[in-house]
Amino acid sequence: MTAAPVPSDAPGDSPPDSRPGWLMSILERVRPVLARVGRLTRHQVRFVLALVGAAWGVVRESVRPNSWRRTVREEFRQCLRQVVGGGLLSTMVTATLAGLMVVSQAVYWLGFAGMAQMTGSILVSVLVREISPVLVGIILLGRSGMLVLTEIGILTLGGQIRALQAQGMDPFLLLVLPRTFAFMVGGFTLGILFATISLLMGFIITHSAGVITTSVWTFFANVLMAMSSWDFLVIPLKFILVGFFVGLGACMTGLLVDADDTIATLMPRGFARGIMTVLVVNILFSMGG
Amino acid sequence: MAQDGPILDIRAAQPSFDESGMAPVPVDLRLMPGDCAVIECRDFARATLFADLCSGMIALASGSVRFMGLDWMELGDRQLYALRGRIGRITRRGSWLDLFGTHQNIILQQLHHTTRPTGDVVADAMKLGMVFGFPGLPVTGPGRLSVSDLARAACVRAFLGRPDLLVLEDISDMLPPDASVAFLEAITAARDRGAAVMWFVRHAATWADYRPAVNVHLRLLDEGLFPVRGG
Repeated sequence: MTAAPVPSDAPGDSPPDSRPGWLMSILERVRPVLARVGRLTRHQVRFVLALVGAAWGVVRESVRPNSWRRTVREEFRQCLRQVVGGGLLSTMVTATLAGLMVVSQAVYWLGFAGMAQMTGSILVSVLVREISPVLVGIILLGRSGMLVLTEIGILTLGGQIRALQAQGMDPFLLLVLPRTFAFMVGGFTLGILFATISLLMGFIITHSAGVITTSVWTFFANVLMAMSSWDFLVIPLKFILVGFFVGLGACMTGLLVDADDTIATLMPRGFARGIMTVLVVNILFSMGG
Repeated sequence: MAQDGPILDIRAAQPSFDESGMAPVPVDLRLMPGDCAVIECRDFARATLFADLCSGMIALASGSVRFMGLDWMELGDRQLYALRGRIGRITRRGSWLDLFGTHQNIILQQLHHTTRPTGDVVADAMKLGMVFGFPGLPVTGPGRLSVSDLARAACVRAFLGRPDLLVLEDISDMLPPDASVAFLEAITAARDRGAAVMWFVRHAATWADYRPAVNVHLRLLDEGLFPVRGG
């Protein structure tokens, strides 16, 4: 029988280090600096890492049928009603204004430059693919994201989230999963609505001004013809992901409050994170396209 | 669910001081089906922390806390939450979600953890509500209810759905006198069907009427949990 080696902290017992002394002294000096840089980096990217982890968690939980129990479904229904119903009017007004500005200007100036045949592709790439997801993301964030952030933040600060856990209800399952999905569906719905209304309003204005003489069907057919197969994939995907991450970001910011946080500190942070999320999702897709 | 062994079995459980702030002293307690443990504790916060410990919400440095034979620390998240669904709890910590009406707050745990028809859950809740002095179920938001009505609602929520363990923090200062008898009757009914009861009290007067029926009497101090002899 052999005796197990006894671990010891004594320097004499540790295996001899083959590294030279000067290297060890440099490492000793560099280590605190590296640790500080690591701490700072970790602190800065903590939310991003939490968001990525939570996104994976939402996707994983959503495919389990047991996750969609009646309380979760009811929360999804209520949140979806709030997201779509609350953002509907804002989306219609913003889409109308965007249509008036972007479509009418694009049609006018492209016609002026003799490039009217490019109208469809310009509208698709500028309005539908780039502007719509950003504006819809901002509407989602302002109308519903901040509300969700405040609700969950207050629950966390007030200890109700812990009380939920004491009753055996996982806040991630009960609040984060359904709300994130509601934002995702809401983002897609409002996004498609936004794109349609803005194009329609642009057509109405330019048609009534006599800049366009084609029918509305021809106008929309031109827009659709200008879309590539990538556009058919990426445009809905952008709306879906913008909604998903705005919802998830708001929920996670509300859940991850510090003890000394208040609503006054929470809301600006949530707004900044939401805007960053919207822009990052759009930029990533724009770079990919 | 019939349970032969102890409902709650705490063996030399030493809470992690860093995570909970509880004194790191080992605690032992065993509650069998039908047991009623009265735990005297002057400090509401300490009682809440101990209730959290029993519900598997506090990390342990050593020892174990088993509920219905399962060690909280060995369970995954899903099992852990599911098992907590079998605990009826009254807490002094703010536990009402302003997102929902009080009636939804009351039935939320049952709707989440069971597949019983919603109508049955509501009917049971209304029956219990009337026992505790409501005309039915309060549908207004919890923020609009008086302290005494919230105490009644907390009782309805805790006793709803035949829980296996009742962890009842002291709300005797909030519960109106007409609901006190109903409270004691509900404890007895729960014990009769095999539930264990852990009842935190601040003063002896709180449980004086129920003293003959109590079979475990303890005192919770910073130094740990101590049996009270001849209390």
